[in-house]
Amino acid sequence: MDFRLRPARDHGMEAADRLRSLSRERGLGSILLGGAWRRVLRGYLALFHRLRVEGRENLPPPPFVLVANHASHLDALVLSAVLRGEAARRGHALAAGDTFFGSTLSSAFAAYAVNALPVWRKRTRASEIATLRERLVEDGLVYILFPEGTRARDGVMAAFQPGIGALVAGTEVPVVPCFLDGAFAAWPPQARFPKPGRLRLWIGAPLRFADVPAGRAGWEAVAVRCEAAVRALAR
Amino acid sequence: MIRQGVFDHPVTIGIVAATVAVLLVAAGVIGAMTAMGRGTPELRRELWLRLGSWCLLLPLMMGPVLLGREWVIGAVTLLGLACLREFDRATGLFREPLVAALVVLGIVAVNFAALDHWYGFFVALWPLTVGVICIGTIPRDRPSGYVQRTALGILAYMLFGAGLAHLSFMANDPAYRPVLLMLLTTVALSDVAAFTFGKLIGGPKLLPATSPNKSISGALGALCVTTLLVAGLAWAIFAGTPMAQPHWLLLFGLIVGIGAQAGDLMLSSIKRDIGIKDMGTILPGHGGVLDRFNSLLLVAPAAFHFIRFFVGVAEQQPARLITGG
Repeated sequence: MDFRLRPARDHGMEAADRLRSLSRERGLGSILLGGAWRRVLRGYLALFHRLRVEGRENLPPPPFVLVANHASHLDALVLSAVLRGEAARRGHALAAGDTFFGSTLSSAFAAYAVNALPVWRKRTRASEIATLRERLVEDGLVYILFPEGTRARDGVMAAFQPGIGALVAGTEVPVVPCFLDGAFAAWPPQARFPKPGRLRLWIGAPLRFADVPAGRAGWEAVAVRCEAAVRALAR
Repeated sequence: MIRQGVFDHPVTIGIVAATVAVLLVAAGVIGAMTAMGRGTPELRRELWLRLGSWCLLLPLMMGPVLLGREWVIGAVTLLGLACLREFDRATGLFREPLVAALVVLGIVAVNFAALDHWYGFFVALWPLTVGVICIGTIPRDRPSGYVQRTALGILAYMLFGAGLAHLSFMANDPAYRPVLLMLLTTVALSDVAAFTFGKLIGGPKLLPATSPNKSISGALGALCVTTLLVAGLAWAIFAGTPMAQPHWLLLFGLIVGIGAQAGDLMLSSIKRDIGIKDMGTILPGHGGVLDRFNSLLLVAPAAFHFIRFFVGVAEQQPARLITGG
């Protein structure tokens, strides 16, 4: 009896508001478009970047959060492309609102193809974090998150922000650390378009934070452990 | 396939002319209200919004009917898919994408059967699609929620696929235009009449827990207007056929009138059960597509089978145009 007669969380929203809403729930059209987009993406990554993935067996069933180093737009594309089945359908990249949700056209692409949810840097409200946390647990979602907050302009991984802790501290949701190598060389923040180049992704063992208190200190502790786990994968 | 000219039937000309005239008069009245400052600004804004939506909707409804049978079938298919989208997002069926996909396939298939003019397949698709929806999610080995997702899928197919597609099938008849225009306009008028009689007469509520704004006077007034209007138009359309007898024409009008209001109340029941006011936001002043077309859902199959019983639908037209045989 797990079917709930409950409207979509975004029910009643105007189309343009829905695209930028953290409450957006995907339907059949979005799932089909997203599936087609992932197939194209996998083909591109295999052909132009000879992507190799290690540790795929570490991916748990949803919900979970993927965290990784961030030096290129390729990062989110690679992480969303490696997800399969239910995890892929429930996967949301948390993307910079100012970069990907500026216009209606870019919002439509980000929402329907990439299935991204907007995060507004430096002005994220507590209620937005609460919505993301609630949906992660209740809807069994998968988030792709880059806790550095922005792409490293020099390709060197920066310290993780505590936002990841606010999402998972005190919950049973695992965090899966990943390290992607080669993305900065193929598509650095300064370049307009990517160029061919090898990519290699390591997926580490999931981390759990059920016993970490949901508060500033706990959030920072989560960020520190996640950062250490990602750095440990870099070799 | 025999085809008739767009304005061959006087009822087609009459309905189109009356619709344009009503829109012009409505615009004149609301314009006068605005110029004289009558009514609250909110009411005037609401009226302009509703009129604007009608100016967009009526050409979208009547245009395909005037353009030809393929246009009708295309428009009904899109309407069914749009209704399904609103329904599945309101009920939560969209969280079961496989069931939603099977209903989409059913809607496309039944409209294809209409396009092919293959009545056997058209009728067979009802039980076949239900069977496919019933079987569809079993291989996933997830019995939890099976009854709910299957029942919602079947209801969606019945209403937006099998039900609405009767309008598509009717378009195979060379003289479909006045019949479809009559159904589209009288069903819409039934809503307006219920609202108007309810405001003018008032009195006890019809079903307050289901739809608090509907009164018994509105329902009876709308039923009288719709029954008489449909009977009158049907008399002009079906003259010389076994259906053109006063008691059958009045019964036909009654079926359309009751079907229109029952469709409205059915959607109200669904919305109340879920706890939402409107099914969508796409039509300003109306809500969603389903909020506008709910009255048509039950009327389409009922009117089709009534007409088919007395007169027949596209009996002389060649069948299986695409699949052959």
